[in-house]
Order: sequence, then C-alpha cells, then structure tokens
Amino acid sequence: MVLSRFWYVLLGLLFGAALFLLHIASSMYNRAGLRARAEGLSSDAQVVSWYLRDDARQRSAQLIPFALEPDVAKYLQKSNESEAKVPEDARGKLTQALQRVSAQIPKDAGFDSVFAVDQNGRVVAYVGYEQASGMEDFELGGYPVVADALHGYVRDDTLVLDRMYRVVARPVEFDLAAMPAGAIVGARVIDDRFARELSQRTGAAVAFYANGQRAAAASPAEFNTANLDAIVGDLTDLEQDKDYREKGRSAVREIGGMIAVQYTRLPGEAWQLGAGYAVARLPAAVSGPLAFFSKADDKDKKAGNLPLAIAAAVLAAGLGILFSFLEHTRPLQVFKLEAGKFAAGTIEQLTPSHFRGLFRKIASDVNDGVDKQLAKGGGPRRGPADFKQVLGDIPDQPVMSAFSLPGDAQDSAASGPGSGAVSVPMSSGTSAQGAGRPLPSPPGSAPRRLPRPPGAAPAAAPAPAPAAHLEASMPEGGLTEWGSGAADESEWQDVFREFVATKKQCGETVDGFTYEKFAERLRKNRDALVQRHGAKRVKFGVYVKDGKAALKANPIKE
Amino acid sequence: MKPPFGQRLPATFGTRWGRACGWVAVLTALVPASAEAAKLRGRIDGFRNLLNPVWAEARDPKQHGYSFREPVATVRAEFRRLFPHAPKEICIAALAPAPQKAPPPVLVRVGGGRTTPVTIVVPPGTRLTFQNTDPFKHRLHGVGIPTFQPADTVRGATREWSVPGAGVFEIRDDLAPSLRMWVVGDVNVAAIAYPSLKGDFALSVEEPGEYTVQAFFAGKKIGPALPVTVKDADLDLSKTPLKLADEKAAVAADKAEVEKAKIEADSEAKPGGEK
Repeated sequence: MVLSRFWYVLLGLLFGAALFLLHIASSMYNRAGLRARAEGLSSDAQVVSWYLRDDARQRSAQLIPFALEPDVAKYLQKSNESEAKVPEDARGKLTQALQRVSAQIPKDAGFDSVFAVDQNGRVVAYVGYEQASGMEDFELGGYPVVADALHGYVRDDTLVLDRMYRVVARPVEFDLAAMPAGAIVGARVIDDRFARELSQRTGAAVAFYANGQRAAAASPAEFNTANLDAIVGDLTDLEQDKDYREKGRSAVREIGGMIAVQYTRLPGEAWQLGAGYAVARLPAAVSGPLAFFSKADDKDKKAGNLPLAIAAAVLAAGLGILFSFLEHTRPLQVFKLEAGKFAAGTIEQLTPSHFRGLFRKIASDVNDGVDKQLAKGGGPRRGPADFKQVLGDIPDQPVMSAFSLPGDAQDSAASGPGSGAVSVPMSSGTSAQGAGRPLPSPPGSAPRRLPRPPGAAPAAAPAPAPAAHLEASMPEGGLTEWGSGAADESEWQDVFREFVATKKQCGETVDGFTYEKFAERLRKNRDALVQRHGAKRVKFGVYVKDGKAALKANPIKE
Repeated sequence: MKPPFGQRLPATFGTRWGRACGWVAVLTALVPASAEAAKLRGRIDGFRNLLNPVWAEARDPKQHGYSFREPVATVRAEFRRLFPHAPKEICIAALAPAPQKAPPPVLVRVGGGRTTPVTIVVPPGTRLTFQNTDPFKHRLHGVGIPTFQPADTVRGATREWSVPGAGVFEIRDDLAPSLRMWVVGDVNVAAIAYPSLKGDFALSVEEPGEYTVQAFFAGKKIGPALPVTVKDADLDLSKTPLKLADEKAAVAADKAEVEKAKIEADSEAKPGGEK
C-alpha cells in the first residue's frame, strides 16, 4: 500500500498546490488586470487627447480655403467699415462664399458650423448654425479663441454653448499692413457621431460630459455604450479628485464594480466649466479560480493544452489504478484464491509466504486461529458440518469385514442367522428394508429397544429379524434421557449401518471399518458440537458426496 | 442738479396766455438746448498697448485654454497683441465735481462671450438691464454681490440689477468663463462714451462746468485724468489725446511674453514635458 498511499498523498499535495496556485494566479491576474487596466485607461486618455489635438490641427488647415477666399476677406472688411450695423450685402455675399468653400471640403474633414466674424466680433455670416437665425446682433468676439484669431493666431478651443463644440479659428487678412479683417471660425459639435468617429479611430470607449451630464458617448463593439451612463453619478464626486482638479486627469476610478474610468478635462473654456471626456474599460478580474472558465473565451480555450491535461489526468488515474491494483486488488485476489483453496480443503493452511504485507500477517493469524480452534476441538460452525472433514479420511478398507447393508440379500444370505446382532433403526426409513440384514454387531451390545426420536411416528412393530435381532426398546428412564449420549449412540448403529451400506453402494470398501472407531468419532464430534452449539443432541445422517459416502451432523437444540 | 437752463426762463410774463405761450417758448427752447448738450470730442491713444485681461489669461498655457495656439506669420506682430476691443471695453467718463443722479436704465447686451459694454461707469443706483442676445442661456452673477445672485437668463430674456453703491463690481457668467464685466459706481459720473476702433470718442455733458475726463478699462482707471471746462460750445480734445498705455512698456511686455513662451516651449520639448 505504500505506493498507493504515496500516490494519494502526492495527489492530495498536487491538488492543494493546484488550488493554491489557482488562487495565487487569480490574485496575480487581478493585480495584473488592474495594472493593465490603469495603463490602458491612461493610454486611452492620452490617445484621445492626441486625437483631439490632431483633429483640431487638421481642421484648422481646412480653414485656410475660407481665409483665402477673396469674398470672405472683402466683405469682412466691408463690415468693419460700418461699426453701427453689418451691411446686408456683406452678409449675403459672405454666406454664399462660406457655402461655396464648405462644399469643397471633404465631408469627414469639414465642420458642422462655420462663422465669419469681423473685427468687432460680430458674426457677419455663418453656415450650419440655425440657432442664430434672425439674430442680427449675434457675435462671438468675446471668446478668447475668436479674439486670438482676430489678433493673428490660429488655435483651438472647446466651447460649451447650447452644446459642446470643438472650435478652431484663424485670421482672415485683407490688407497685410493692417489688422486682420476678421476671423473664420469652424466648429464641430461633440455629439454621438463625433464620439463614434473618435472611438473608431482610437479604439477607446469614450464619453463626453458637460454640466454634470453625459453629452456624447461611443465605444467599440465589445463594450456596451450604456455602461458609460454610469459616469453621470460619478461626476459629482469628481471635483474631489486631486489629480483631476490640479492636473486635469483623474486617477482610475471604478464605478460600481462595473467599469473603470479615467476622466480628463477638455482643453479650452470647457476646462473651467468642468467639461471633459471619460475613457472606460471593463474590469479584467476574476472572483475566484473557477471564474477563469467563465472568463475564458474561445481563443483562451484554444491556447489551453487540453490533450496534455487529459493525458496528465489519464496518467494520474492510471497510476492510481495500477497502484491500487498492485497493492490492493491483486493481493486481495491472491488471498481470496488462497482462502478458497483453504476453504475447499485443497490446502491445510494458508501459506503466508504467498502473501505480502498485511495479508501475510492475516494469513498467519488465520492459521494460528485455526490451529487453536482445532486444538480446542473445533469451533462452532453454521450449517451441516462436513463430516468427512471433521472425521478425517475414512479408511478405504473397513476394519470389520462383517459389515453389510440392510436389505442386501446377498450379504444377508452370506452372513446367515446368528452371524451378528442386527438392530433395526426406529427412525430410519430404511429400517424396514434393512430388517433382517446382517450387520456388524457393536461390541457389547445387547438386544434392546432403541429410543424413538422426538416427532417420530410411533414405533412400528419391529419386523422379526431372521437371524440376528436387535430389539428396539426405550432406554431406561424413558424419554427423560433423550439427548444423552446413550440415546444418541443408540442411533449410531443405524447410522453406522446406513453409512456402511452407502459406502458399499458407492463402491467403497468397508474393510477394517468398525463400529467402535465410528462411534468414537461420532462421540467426539457430538461432544464438540454440543459444546459449541449448546445443543441437546446431535443427529447424524448419511449422504453421498462426490460419489462417496459421507456423514453430516445436525445439532438439535430442542 | 438743477434742471438745465430752467433757471434761465424769463419771469416777467403777466397774462395766462402770455404765461402759457412763454412756457411753450421756453420748452421749445429747452429741447434743442438739451439735445445739443456740449460735446467733448476727444481721442484715446495707446490703447493697443493694453491687454484684455480675459484674453491674456486665456493665452497662458497653464490655463489649458487650448491644445495648440500659433501665430499666423503674415499678421504683423503689433496686431498680435491682445489689445482690447475699444468700442466695448474702454469707457470714457466725464466726472463732474458734484454728485450726479442716476440716469435711465442702461441696456447691457450679453452675447458673444462678453457683455457690451464690458466696462461701464455709472452713478450708484443706476439700473442695468442685461439682455441675453445669444441663442443659449447665461447665468450671470455679481462676484461678492449679494443682490446679484446666479440666475439663468434664457435667449432674448432680460435681467435687471441696480448698482448698489460706489465701487467696482464684477459681473461673471457661470456658463461662460470668458464673460467678465466691470461696473464702476461713481457718484460724479456725468456722462460716458465709448471710443471707436480708431480711438475717437464724444462725450455729451448736459451742463457747462468743470469736468474731468477719465478712461476706464477692466474696472480700473487708466491713463491720465484730463480736466476740462465745458461751456456752451462743443470742445475738441483730440489735440491732447488720452494716452492710456505706454508703447515701450507694451513692447517690453511683448518681449517678456515671447521669452516666456520660448522657455515653455523648450520645457515642453524636453522628455516628460508633454502632459
């Protein structure tokens, strides 16, 4: 059992180690996931920031065609000359010019709205901003981005007006020796379309927010955009984030265990208004070792070496089975086989040298036990005892040649009257047949009546024996002595006769087989059985076993 | 302040009709007299050496007002200075020696990222009517002014506020950081005017007398105070323009700004400088 036990211990250790490693792995996975998520979020935030800057630069270049359009500069200059009111013709001409240039700009590089602003800051003309329809005093000159453009700078800004806008502006020059005639301002609405475009190009899940509300959101296909709504509840606490307040970018924040978010303020006026964007990622964490199964996708499962795992499992199981077979099943089978032989009497005792380990000890103990029991005369047994085994080998040649079976005419004739006393068994069915059959006479036996076994039919009148006659009579003391040795032994003659007859029928020799030996054996066995089973008496019967006559003993307790 | 010219009405008419005709004649005479109040025509100079504080603050990279800001090479450097838009931001006031009463409500337009005017000088008690000219709402409030708490003003709507006393009051908009207005309460303000893009202005004073012409910018007095004596006729002060700022100081400030920008650009170019 050493190997098996070693294997069990090894398997237990391996299982424990595997469980421990899985917990460590899940912890490491979660920690690595947190780190990767934080790095990923920072990367996303940076990429979005770069995208917004690059997009603003690219779009500011799209303002050049407007600035170079002659009508734009010309009518802006004309508007400057009228401080009181914008000339109507300037509005019309400028609007046409703006529409003309806008039509030439590629759609994905264009603007949602374009404004032409004169030196007074008045919006002389615009396209794509219908909110200002009918507002003749609409102006933009106070915004720093427009003021900068009017003073010769090109720059961007993020304005939070009725909506959020990414704005770029540049000057429009009419006379290089004078102040710019005005500015051209391009604006893109930060809406879901803008966010979607950004998300597609950066791969980030991004949401824009302003005034405590989500303004726009978009995410890659594997990320549910609705998750980004969760940022609204987090915005109220955002200002308490020191990094966000001072540097404009928050630490990684986890919202409800659902998503991890990093907030970044948008450059421009939006910065002061607390507007910005949030990039989000789903948490890459497992709740326990078993969660790996649910987290693993097809790619992960493909990467797992399933054949190796199966082979290891089969090998482990096979080794376990082999060890248990070698150390348990096989010794048990050997023991069983040996015990079978022992039970069958093929061997006289178990052979400890055939066994190993504990079985050797068991075999030795069994042998010792059997020896001790035999020394005590045998132990109790259930069921009919194999008399042959109890008695040992019966000699083939009976000692008494005068033995003959009742009813055997030949024998009977041979023996002749007066050759020996023959008793007629009172309870045997064969007694009638056996009547008159010459039987070996037990030494010292006198004609007497044999006791009737309990339950037996009333004794029939004994048939007259032709020569020898064994008179059956009740023992002295009547039935009170039933169960005593005298009563048993009175039957034994019948049993002896039946046994001898059966032996002869089976072709066995009865030479040297005497009643004394027979009775002595029966007595010993009777005594042993009475002692072992607490029986009152023992009834012996004759039967044929393996073609040979045999005796069986039935302890009777009534 | 006594009604202009009222005391000059003749008191010798005896009859009712005569008296009535006399009042008609007086009123007839008063109206033109009031409409033709003496004008002080003048000019400001050097206002392009001033810096709009809002824009100057916005250009500071530390304010994160932009992701890129570059000068256009074809625009001359003198125009790149963020000087104020004079017609809205520089207020020329005629200060009388005696306290003046509050004029009728003054309309202040709110739109385009600023108010029009940006700086105003009025006697205390003057009612200002803020009108939202943008297609979206504003949320004006006075900085530290209990009587001017933040409140939304939707498109086209107006909001009233009276100047509570002498001093400088700043008005801001919670929804538009660039919007900053300064209201200067001064009991002696007799008239105000705003210059043109070229710097010309014209003040109308109702009564002759001694006045001081003073320019205000971003809630502060700028330039020298110019004392004038107003008589019945208009007065031309353009020969002695109000020099609001020194060009040398402005040039020095520009140079300093260029140097600062260079240093910041260098620090950004270094590793780790990019945020």
